[in-house]
This record gives sequence, structure tokens and C-alpha cells, in this order.
Amino acid sequence: MNLPAGETQANLRKWWQPGLHDERRSLLLCAVAAVLGLIIAGVGLFSARGTRIAGVPPEDVAVVNQSPILLSDYVAQLQALYTVSLSEATPAQKRATLNSMIREELYVQRGIELGLQNDFIEVRNSLVNAVEAQQEIDGNATVPTEQELRDFYQNHLQNFQPEGLMTLTDFVALDLASAQRAVTAVRSGKDPASAMAAEGLKSSGATDDGEEFYFAAEQHLGARLYFIAKRLHDGQVSDPIADGGRVHVLAMQHNHQPVPEDFSQARDRVLADFRTDKIARMRAGTDRFLRERADVQIAKAFR
Amino acid sequence: MTLVPQQRVPSGYLRSTRRRPIYVLIAVVLLLTMVVAITVTKRRERTALLQADADRILDDPRLAPKALVQGRRVFLAHCANCHGADGRGSTATGTPDLTDQDFLYGTGRSSEIELIVLHGIRSKDDKGWDLAWMPAYGQAVPYARSKLPALSPTEIGQLTSFLRTINGATGEDPASVSAGSALYEGHGGCWDCHGRDVQGDTAIGAPNLRDGKWLRGDGSRRDISRIIREGLHGVSPAFRGRLDPADARAVAVYTASLHARKDNP
Repeated sequence: MNLPAGETQANLRKWWQPGLHDERRSLLLCAVAAVLGLIIAGVGLFSARGTRIAGVPPEDVAVVNQSPILLSDYVAQLQALYTVSLSEATPAQKRATLNSMIREELYVQRGIELGLQNDFIEVRNSLVNAVEAQQEIDGNATVPTEQELRDFYQNHLQNFQPEGLMTLTDFVALDLASAQRAVTAVRSGKDPASAMAAEGLKSSGATDDGEEFYFAAEQHLGARLYFIAKRLHDGQVSDPIADGGRVHVLAMQHNHQPVPEDFSQARDRVLADFRTDKIARMRAGTDRFLRERADVQIAKAFR
Repeated sequence: MTLVPQQRVPSGYLRSTRRRPIYVLIAVVLLLTMVVAITVTKRRERTALLQADADRILDDPRLAPKALVQGRRVFLAHCANCHGADGRGSTATGTPDLTDQDFLYGTGRSSEIELIVLHGIRSKDDKGWDLAWMPAYGQAVPYARSKLPALSPTEIGQLTSFLRTINGATGEDPASVSAGSALYEGHGGCWDCHGRDVQGDTAIGAPNLRDGKWLRGDGSRRDISRIIREGLHGVSPAFRGRLDPADARAVAVYTASLHARKDNP
């Protein structure tokens, strides 16, 4: 098919004939594609989540200098101030709440403009706490796999054992010799209470409340006696111990040493510890990252 | 501009393809229109869901069905890991049952649940719930936030006897029950959170201790004494910034429906 050059009608027809090459058609299609691309990119850019250029997004109740006031915060504020839901609130309540939230946002922004974080210790502390809290929020949202939890449990078994329990009597002797005789008598099979009484040993009263947790026994006995006590088995007596100007003999009735709980029993604590551990690692990573990124110059005298 | 010499193509080919570009153009326009229409519709639905009163969505026949479908999808992706696909939680891990009427926090309204979804419980989000922890009375420092006395194993046993008895268990030593009751109202400080009536306080997440429902374990001596000894302070993560606000709203509505379903099976 021949199309005479210069004939508009014929040229127009030619444009739509794919069998024929036409540079103007190519250019036009390129231009149309470019414009379409720009439109799609523009829509994507300006309507992406978090972009607040084209009006107020539905999840916000207002936007103040590009900073959103979240609808959920607004509803919570209505509830806190007036104990009403969104649909129960009167227009006056809604207006007052919104105005106070806008005012707060404006003051926060003004505070940043004024650099109040440089002047007010409370602001600085709040900012530091907020950044740390953000790390904890991220850490607390971690959902480890069951295998990760089990591995963590195996590697930190000592953390998942309940406090040990002991029931013992702390006897006090008049002197080392009588204490030694009492110990020998008990070890040869005599009843501890009567053997101690026979040699004049009396309870110090420190552990007379019956069974107690290890930490309580440590508080009652003191570090040295406790250290010896927790190694005694049921029915054993210690050697005489000179401590604090007195001679002690510890007679253990029951010592339930801590044993790690099963994974299934300890799972919630394992998860909590896993997250705590992750938060600590995240915090250390953030500290490193911030230091590396920052331009920190230290005066010569303080290096 | 250099003109490319016109090429001669078979006339049959031209007849069949002459209008093809128009069809393609029409198809593209239709496709674009469809995409725009779907996008606009979805945006409208999202806006309607977000701007409605959360507590009324379940009663709105226009919004509820879609919110429930969307909410279930979000629930399975983000909540089922702890609360189970059916939302019944686990007494083995101390994860609350979301299908019963026994509320730890609030009253089960969608708006309250939405705040929990967004800001969590003990998640460290400043807007989340974190007013109290169950102290670990079997540790040297039971509670980090205020000074509380540690309890001895005997005292923990007495409190356990008291709690089991008010939940219908028989065979507990009456002296132990009486001592446990005194501890509850005395220096144990339990009443401070769980109330003088032992019915808990949903304003701070303190469970009702006399309704026979247990957050962790089954109410056996072993389970109750373990909770008193080691404490309990579950964490619900904050999903603000991780979930689209519409997804957070939808999953809150879905979760509220789980509570409601119990009433109207």
C-alpha cells in the first residue's frame, strides 16, 4: 500500500498501521509511555504509606506540618478525657480534644526548632529513653522459631532453674572443742538435736523459720556460712566454723538444690530471656553504628 | 528527519492488523480503568474501616464481613503464633484465651483491643499497657518497681491453699487457708492488684483469682505456687509501624468478634 507523503489523512492512517515504520508514531508512543510512567511514579510517590502530601490519610485525624496526629491516639484521648467512644463524643468534645492535640504537636515542633534537647535534662532523658524503648519494642516483637528457643534454653540452662530450698539449723557452740565433739557424735549416728544439746550447742535462731529459699538463707546466715550450707546434703552436719567471733555448726535437714526446669515448663521465661538477650545485642549494635556514623571530635586534653 | 522507505506488506496482513493497535489501546485503557477502579474502591473501603467507630464495626453489615476476613488473615499471620489459630491461647505458656469473657485488660471492645494491637502490653511502647507485673515472691527482689517482701516457701504454700480453696478445691489445711487469707490481705500485698474481693482489676491487667480460670497452669498446687514464686508478666508486642493501620483495626475487630462469638454461637 502506497501512502503519498503530505496527505494528513493518509499520514494519520499510516500511524496506526503496524506493518509500516513511522518515526513520529514511535516518538508519540514513547512520549505517551513516558507520561504514563511519570503518572504512575507520581501516584506511587505521593500516595505511598506514610506520605502526607495529598490531604489527610484516613488513619490520621490531622496533619500538622507533615506530622500526623493518629486517629487511634485521638480516640484514646477522647476516651481518657471524657470516657466516650468516637461516635459517643459530642462535637464540642471532639473539637476540644483535637485542638489540644494540635497544640501539643505544635509545641513539640517548636521545641525541636528551639533545640530544647540541648537545654533541658528532662527532654534529653526522654529522648534517650524513647530511643532505647524503640529498641525494646523491636526486640519484643521478635518471634523466634521453636528451635531457636530450644537452642537458647540449652545454652542458658542455669537461668531456668528455680531458687533452691533448704531447711537447716545453725548451731552455735561455746568453743571449738565442744563443737567438734558434737559433730563427731552426729557423724557417728547420733540424733543431731540431742548431740548438739549434749555439748551445749544452741540454735542461733537465724534459720528457725523452717524451709527457706537459698537467697533468704544467704541473708540469714551470711555469705560464708551459706556457701558451706548449700554444699551439705540431707542429714549432714558441717565441720565447726569459726565466724564472727562464734563457732557454728550447720545441720542440714533438707537441701533441694536447684534443677533446671523442662523446656516446656520454662518456655515463657526462655522466650522472655531470648528477647532480652536480643535487645541487648541490638542496643550494642546501635551504639556501635551511631559511634561509627558520628563525627566525634574530642579535645586533645580529654583524649 | 530521514524517512524510511515505505515497505510493502501483504494486503491480507494489513486487513487483519489494521485495527489491532486500537484494540490494544482500548484493552490498555480498560485495564488501567479497572486498576484505578479497584484501587479507588479499596481506598474507600480502607477509609471507611479506619474512620468508623471501631466499637460499631461488628454491627455494621457493610463493614463487618470484610473487616472479619481481613482481620482473620492478619490474626493468622501475626497473633496465632502465641494465641493459636483459634485464639484460645495456652495455659502452658500463660497466653490468654481470646475467646472467653474473662478479660485481663479492658472489656473486650474493639477500640481497646486496637490499642493493644498497636501499642502492646509491657512492650515498652509508651502508649501500651504496663501498669503492673505479677511479682516473683520467691526471689530476693520480688518486684523491681516498688518494695515488696519476699515470701517464704511456707507462706507461698499458705497463699496457694487459700487460692485453691476459694476456687472450690477441698482438702486444704484450714489453718493454712486462714494464714493464706491473712497474707493475701496483709503483707503479701496481693489485694493491692487483685482486689479485696479477689476478682482482679482489668484496669491494670490483674486477673480474677476466684473464677476457676487460670492464665497459666490448671490451678494445681504446683502451678499456683510456681506463679507466686516466679511471677508472671506476659508481653504482647506493639505492632505500630509494623501493621497497616487498617490491618490493626481489622484484627482488633476480628478479635472482638471471637469474644462475642462465645455469647452467640
